Amino acid sequence: MEKLFQRKVTVTLKYITVALVSAILLLLIESSFAKREYAISAFLTVGLIAIAITYLTNFSIPMKFFLPGMFFLFAFVVGPILYTIAMSGFHYQTGNYISKPESITQILAGGIRPDAAQTTFDIIIGEDPAKNLEILASDPTNKKYFLATATTKTDLDPAGLAIDGNGDATVAPGFTPLTPSQQAAEDKALATTRFAYSSDYFITIEGGNVASLKEQSLKYDSSTDTFTNVLTHAVYRDNGTGNFANIKDKNDQLQPGWRAPIWFENYAKLFTDPQIRSALIPVFIWTIVFASLTVLTQFALGLLIAMTLNRKLHGRRIYRSILILPYAMPSIMSILIWGGMFDTEFGAINHLFGTHVHWFQSALYARLAVIIVNLWLGFPYFYLICSGALQAIPAELSEAAAIDGASSRQIFRKITLPLLLQVVAPLLVASFAFNFNNFNIIYLLTGGGPQNTLGGAVAGSTDILISYTYKIAFSAGNQNLGLASAISVVIFVIIASISLYGIRRSKVLDSFK
Amino acid sequence: MKKWVKEDLWRHIVLLVTCFFVLFPIYLVFLSALSPTGSLQVTSFIPKTISFNNFHLLFHSPKIPYLIWMKNSIVIAGLVAVLSVVIGAASAFSFSRLRFRGKKQGLQLLLLVQMFPAILSLSAVYVIMERVYNFAPHIGLGTEPGLLLVYLGGAMGVNIWLLKGFVDSIPIELDEAAKVDGASAVQTYWLIFVPLAAPILAVVSLLSFIGTFNEFILARLFLVDQNSRTIAVGLQSFISGQYATNWGPFAAGSIIASIPLVAIFLSLQRYIISGLTAGSVKG
Amino acid sequence: MIQRKFGKVAALTVAAGLISGFISAPVHAASNTIIVWADETRGPNLQQVIAAKGDWVPGYTIKIVPFSSFDALNAAFGNATALTGPDIVVGANDWVATGAKNGKLAPVTLSSSVRANFTANNFFDLSYKGVLYGVPLDVNNVAMLYNSKLTGKPGTLAQMVSFYLKNKTADKLTAGLCVAGGGMSWGAESVLNALGGAPYVMTATGSVDPTADPVPAATVAANIKTYLLDKNGKSNGFFPATDTGCKTAFLAGTVPYAIIGNWEWQDYVKAGFDMNNLMPLPGLYHGTYGAAFASVSGAMLTTFAAQHGVDQGAKSLLNNFFGSAAGAVAYQNVELRPPANKKAQKDASVTTAQKNFGKAGAVAGLPQIGAILNGATGSKSFWDLLPAFWTDVLVNGKDPQTSAAAMDAFFKTNITAGIPQL
Repeated sequence: MEKLFQRKVTVTLKYITVALVSAILLLLIESSFAKREYAISAFLTVGLIAIAITYLTNFSIPMKFFLPGMFFLFAFVVGPILYTIAMSGFHYQTGNYISKPESITQILAGGIRPDAAQTTFDIIIGEDPAKNLEILASDPTNKKYFLATATTKTDLDPAGLAIDGNGDATVAPGFTPLTPSQQAAEDKALATTRFAYSSDYFITIEGGNVASLKEQSLKYDSSTDTFTNVLTHAVYRDNGTGNFANIKDKNDQLQPGWRAPIWFENYAKLFTDPQIRSALIPVFIWTIVFASLTVLTQFALGLLIAMTLNRKLHGRRIYRSILILPYAMPSIMSILIWGGMFDTEFGAINHLFGTHVHWFQSALYARLAVIIVNLWLGFPYFYLICSGALQAIPAELSEAAAIDGASSRQIFRKITLPLLLQVVAPLLVASFAFNFNNFNIIYLLTGGGPQNTLGGAVAGSTDILISYTYKIAFSAGNQNLGLASAISVVIFVIIASISLYGIRRSKVLDSFK
Repeated sequence: MKKWVKEDLWRHIVLLVTCFFVLFPIYLVFLSALSPTGSLQVTSFIPKTISFNNFHLLFHSPKIPYLIWMKNSIVIAGLVAVLSVVIGAASAFSFSRLRFRGKKQGLQLLLLVQMFPAILSLSAVYVIMERVYNFAPHIGLGTEPGLLLVYLGGAMGVNIWLLKGFVDSIPIELDEAAKVDGASAVQTYWLIFVPLAAPILAVVSLLSFIGTFNEFILARLFLVDQNSRTIAVGLQSFISGQYATNWGPFAAGSIIASIPLVAIFLSLQRYIISGLTAGSVKG
Repeated sequence: MIQRKFGKVAALTVAAGLISGFISAPVHAASNTIIVWADETRGPNLQQVIAAKGDWVPGYTIKIVPFSSFDALNAAFGNATALTGPDIVVGANDWVATGAKNGKLAPVTLSSSVRANFTANNFFDLSYKGVLYGVPLDVNNVAMLYNSKLTGKPGTLAQMVSFYLKNKTADKLTAGLCVAGGGMSWGAESVLNALGGAPYVMTATGSVDPTADPVPAATVAANIKTYLLDKNGKSNGFFPATDTGCKTAFLAGTVPYAIIGNWEWQDYVKAGFDMNNLMPLPGLYHGTYGAAFASVSGAMLTTFAAQHGVDQGAKSLLNNFFGSAAGAVAYQNVELRPPANKKAQKDASVTTAQKNFGKAGAVAGLPQIGAILNGATGSKSFWDLLPAFWTDVLVNGKDPQTSAAAMDAFFKTNITAGIPQL
C-alpha cells in the first residue's frame, strides 16, 4: 500500500516536472518565434517534441537518461562546433566581419563625407508649421542664419533675429523647437534626415545642437550591385571575396567588407601558405611533447607520493593536507604567481638558487618552466587517483609475491604498476586530451613566448596549437577568424584520430558492449 | 631506529622536498598579499613590513563588492556542481548498463566533442546567447542563469570516465536481481545505482565545483555587472587592466577565495580518495 | 494509457504556458537610453561622474556599463552585435582601425567648439583613413622617474650607465634602467629611440617620412655595444630584457631609473617618490631625449547607436560631455590621468604628475600609428619585434647589427604598407 502511494507521488512529480519544463520551452518557442530567431525556435521545438516522446512513451529507455544532457550538449557544445566549422569556409577576418547588406549600409554611411572645411552649424531642432522636421541653423562666425527642412532652405536676415550670447539665433518665424523628449523620440528620423543646403551638399545632425555639412561621395546601384564614386567616377564591384573593389585597381577596396564564402580556401592556405605551414609543424610537435610530458610527469610524481604515503608514517595527515593544496587553489592565481617567480632579474627562483637563468627568454627554459608549473598544478590529482587505486589493490598479491622472494622493485614492476595502469589508463587519455588544449597555462604563463620574431618565427616556442590559434583569431590588428576556425577543425581531426586510436588500442571501450 | 632509517627516511625526504615545492609559491602569495606594494616579485624572502591593506581593501572598498562576488561564485558553482552531476550520472549509468544501438559510437563522439578547441567556439556561444537575450532577456547574455545554462553544456561529457568507472564496478548481479523483481531501468537507477554511487557523485560534484569556480573566460563576457561577477572574474579584474595590475588585492583575494575550497578538500580528504578510485578498480 | 497521459500533460502545458506568458513578457530596453561600455577603472569612474550629474543630454538617460577588465571589454566588443552592443565604447586608439574595418564604429563630426579643445595629433589617433570615430579622452604615455635618494637628475644616457656600473655592487643594484610601465614594446620604445632607432620617422610637418631609415643598424648597434653590453658582448646589466618586477625593484630602491606609466603614478607618490623627478628619457647628448609614444584613449561612437535609435543622443553625449571642458574636468578629477582636453589640462585641479607627464610628452613624444605598428600581412608587428630584439641582443648574445638590420627590414615593410592606410 505504501509502495503504491509512493509510486503515485513519484509519477505525479514526474508529470509536474515534464509539464513545467514543456511550458517553459513552449513560452520560449513562442517568444523566439515572435522575435524571428527561427533557428533557436526550431531547436527548442525539436527539444519539446523529444521531451514529449521520451518521457510520455516508452519509445526509448536510454533517451530518458540522456535527454537533459544532450539538450545542453547540442545547444552549447555541438552547436558552436558546427558554427566554427561553418566559419572555416568563410573569408572571415578583420575588415570582413559583417554581412553583405550591413556592409552596403555602412559603405553608404561612410560615403557621406564632411566638406573640406569641416563646416559645422549650431542648430536648434524643431518643426515647421506643417510639422516637418526643421532646423534653425546658425553660423556665428560668419553671421549666417537659415532654416532648413529635408526639401527647403530659407535664409534668414540676422537683423530681424533674436541672437543669444554665443551668437546663435534662438527663434525664427514659423519655427517651433522640439522639447528634449520629443527629440529623443524622433532620434531615428533625425539621424537619417538630410536637410537641404545646396545642390552638392546637405546637412546632417550630429547630436542635439550641432549639424555639419556633408556630401555623398558613393552611390549604390542595386540592380548591378556596384558602387560608384560620384566625384572620381570609379566603379566598385563585388570581388567575390567579400569586398567591393575598383574594377580598374583591385587593391582599391571599399570598407567595411563582408564575410564571403570561400569554401576550402582557408584549408588550402594551411598547406600552401609557407608561412602558416612552417609555423604549424613545430607548434604541433611541441603540443604533443607538452601534453605527453605533462601527463607523464604529473602521473609519475603523483604515483611516487601515493606510494610514499601508502603506509603508516609520522605526519602523514599533514603531508597529505599540504600536498593537495595546489589542487584547491584557484589556478589562475597559481599560474600567475609562478610567472612572477621565473623572472630573470627579480624572480624568486633565481633569487633562491642564486642563478641568473633567462627563463622566459630562452625556448628551452621557457618550455621547462611550463612543464614545471603544470606539474605543480596537476600532480595532486594523480596522487589522489593513484592513492585510491593503490589501496584497492589487494595486499595479498604483493604479500604473496614477497613470500615467493620477489624484491620490492619486482613487485612494483610486475604487479602494482600493471594493475594501476589498467585503472588509470582512461584517465591518462583524458588528461592528455585536456592538456592538448590547455590554453590557460600557456596564455597566462608565457603568452606563447619567447618568439624569435626577428628570425621570422610566426609562433612562439611555447605556443601550443590552441594558443597559436587564439593569436590568429583574436590578436590585435589583423584577426583571421576564418583561418583560425580552419586550424581548429584540423586540430580537432588530429586529436580525435589520436585519441580514437588510443582508445581502440587500449580497449578501454570494450566494456561497453 | 635502523628500520626507521631504512624504510621511512627516504619517504620523509621525498615528501619534504615535494612539500617545499608545493608551499614555495603559496608562501610567495602570502608575501605579496601582506606587502604594502603588492607585487609578485620578492626583494627578500622575509618581509620587512607587513601590511593588511590589501585585505582591508577587499572588504571596505565600495568598488570591490568582494563578498557579493564570493556569494555569486558559490551559488553558480554550487548549482553547476549539482546539476551537472545529475546529468552526468544519468548518462554514465545509461552508457554502462543499458543496451542500445550506437552506444560505442555515442560514447566516442561524446569524448571527441570534449577535445574540440573550445576557445574558438566562444564567439559562437556569444552569438547564441545574444540571440537568446533578444527574446528572453532573463536567461540570455549578461545573466547568471544564462551562464549556468552554458556551463551545463559540458555536464554530460566531463567526468564521464570517472562516473562510468564507478558504474562498471557495481556488480551486474544487483541489476539483474532488481530486474527479476520487476524493476524498470529507471527504478534500478534511482533505487540501486544512486545510493551506491553517493561517494563518487560527491567527488564529481566537487570537481565541477572547482572547475566552475576557476572559470573566467566565459564568465567575464557574461557577467558584466559589478554585482553579478564571480570571484574569478573579480580577481582577474585586478590584474588585467589596460596597463595597470594590482597584485596585492589579487593575492589577498585569492587567499580568501581558496579558503572554502581548501576547507572542503581537507575535510573530505578520505572521502575524496575513496570516491575517486573506488569505482576505477574492478572488484 | 499513452493517450491519457498525453491529454493530462498537454492540458497542464498549455495552462502553464499561458500563465507564464503573462508573467514574463520580454522586456525592452528604454529606447532613449545611451549605453556606454568602459573598462574596470574608467567605467566605475564614469559611473560616479554621471551619477553626480546625469543631464548631459536632455531627453536621454545615460547608462555606463563597466567591464571587469580591459581584456574583457575588448573581447566583448569584438563579439558584440547590435542586439546587445553599446552605443559608445571607451577604448584604446588602436581599436579604431579594427572597429572601422569591421563596421562597428561610426564616423562622427564634432562641433567646432569641441574640435578646438584637442590637438590635431589627438584626432589623428582616433581616425582611420582620415575619418574621425570618436572624442579623445585621456592621454597615455610614459616618462622616466629617477630615485633621488640614489642619484641626481641625469643629463645623458652615458651618465646613467656609468652611475650604474660604478654603484652596482655598493648599492646592490639589480638593474640601471628598467621598464615599469607599458611593457617591453610600447613602454621601451623610448629606449630604442634614445639609442637612435624608431618604428618610423616623422617629418617636420608631422607626417610619416616614407624614405627615412627607421633603424640605422650600424648606429644603433654601436650605441648598444657602448651602453648596454660589456666587453664580451653580453648585457652589462644596465637594461633588463623584461619588465616583470621592475616596479617592485624600483620602489624597493634597487633600480635607480625606471620608465613609468602615467596611469600608475599614484603608486609611486604613495611610496614617497616626488613627481618633480619625472622627465623624458635622456638621450645620447645633453638636451636630447628618447621619444616615447603618446596616444589617447577615446570615447567612440558605434554603428549600433543608429540601430538602437539613439544615434543623435550618443553624438550629443560625445559633444556635450566627453568633448567638453566641463565633462573632461569632472571626469579627470576622478580618473586622475592626464586629460587630452586642452582646457581641462589648464584646469587648476591638474596635479604635478599629470603636468610633468604632459611636459615629457610634449618634449619627446611620438604619435602611435596603429596602421604601421600593428604590422602588414606577411610582416610582424612592432609589438612582437621590439621585445624579440631586446631578447636577441641582451639575452641571446646575438650581434646587435644583424638583429637591428632584421628589425629595420620589418619596420620598412610595415611603413610601406601602413602609409596608404592613413
